[in-house]
Amino acid sequence: MLRRGFQMAVILGHHGTLPGATHLLPRFNPASAFGSSTESLVSRFCQEMTKTKNYALPNASWGPDMLSLYHEFLEKTKTDGWVRVPSFRSNRDHIRGFKLPLELSANSDKSDWRLFTRCIEREGQGFEYVIFFQPSEKKSVCLFQPGPCLEGVPGFAHGGSLAALIDETFSKTACLSGEGLLTLNFNIRFKNLIPLGSLAVLNVNVEKIEDQKMYLSCVTQSRDQQTVYAKASGTFLQMQLEEESSQQ
Amino acid sequence: MLRSCTAGLRSLWALRGRREGAARLSADLQPARRLFSTEKAVHKDWALPNPSWSKDLKLLFDQFMKKCEDGSWERLPSCKHTCTYKSEDFKTYFLDPQLVEGEGLSQAQLFTRGFEDGLGFEYVIFNNNDEKRTVCLFQGGPYLQGIPGFLHGGAIATMIDVAFGSCAAISGGAVMTANLNINFKRPVPLCSVVVIHSQLDKLEGRKLFVSCNVRSVDEKTLYSEATGLFIKLDPKKSST
Repeated sequence: MLRRGFQMAVILGHHGTLPGATHLLPRFNPASAFGSSTESLVSRFCQEMTKTKNYALPNASWGPDMLSLYHEFLEKTKTDGWVRVPSFRSNRDHIRGFKLPLELSANSDKSDWRLFTRCIEREGQGFEYVIFFQPSEKKSVCLFQPGPCLEGVPGFAHGGSLAALIDETFSKTACLSGEGLLTLNFNIRFKNLIPLGSLAVLNVNVEKIEDQKMYLSCVTQSRDQQTVYAKASGTFLQMQLEEESSQQ
Repeated sequence: MLRSCTAGLRSLWALRGRREGAARLSADLQPARRLFSTEKAVHKDWALPNPSWSKDLKLLFDQFMKKCEDGSWERLPSCKHTCTYKSEDFKTYFLDPQLVEGEGLSQAQLFTRGFEDGLGFEYVIFNNNDEKRTVCLFQGGPYLQGIPGFLHGGAIATMIDVAFGSCAAISGGAVMTANLNINFKRPVPLCSVVVIHSQLDKLEGRKLFVSCNVRSVDEKTLYSEATGLFIKLDPKKSST
């Protein structure tokens, strides 16, 4: 209980760093907090939206490896309960109808701001990826094909781009598995470089949910699993989103 | 563990200590005099103010430029394109040098410099070689968003990696990132300026242990703390 309060104080910034935050404690009821089932979270955040472009779909830049593995998982969405997570240009599109907790809503965003992993518009140049989520096992698979704008060492993806995509996959998985919202800790161990244009597969698992925190792990490897690119772990803070009332 | 690291090496932050005229990669670490005296084509230096820089960022930049006057600090220039045609020296580090010569790489650009002014990473790094520490001034733009209104954790991780790389390179020359561990204390508002102070904590053979903190301009807010492990590349290792 004390720990939870402390964490909220940390997030809220007891130095008054979040302007406009007049309430220090969030209005959550521990008894029902994070009680939303995975199914309801999936239906809430994975709605396909006709007016907003969904980037988690094949385009001409996707290589044969990416395409074939995509289709394998697409089949699994029909037969094994996997969900293809839509991906919009901003996380604001993912939470339509909901708003961030008060402590985080003071900073408004603009409509042309972009999610980091969707920052590069041109097909094939930046992050090409799609996330598939398995609700019953709280795990995800992300197919990642880095483009030339993600270069670090010549010919290879920048480690920061992989770190960003792992954090993003953690974030979506944490959100769908139990309203995990904010990264508290991120740890990554790099093993090998990912050649630009090749396919890397991120396997993410929720290891534990305890004390308002979700613990996730990720192994990033080649499709044949012969090369491990990186291993990572992350801790996320659970925070409930509030429904937007009709009077704003 | 080290062997598996060297199998697919990654030295993000260029090769300091190279000879004049030798290959230059993403030149975040090249001292200014080397860049301008040896390059035939002058590549634009992105670690300089542009109209997208906020007042805070410009003010801090000026403060640190003043510190450079007595030579104790030095500003690192930063190039947008990784000069693949010059990366001869890098090939000795890689398992498969042919990967480096692939077609289509001419359109590649360093991840952190691939944005129009103000939209992505606006940053400049200052080195203090004697104290083996660096300061990175960073302004994260609107294309680096995570939760609406805030900087993406992965963008912070990228900049911490950049800052660490510069810091490790002071002592280690050509280095690569092995591990990063980041604790996020508070979310960073998008388009604000943060200061990343990195230092070398320990040097053990080829292992460089670094740590940093990410603070607001007035230093009152601690956004994150991180530690990292970098490995000095071994020039004697063959590429096969």
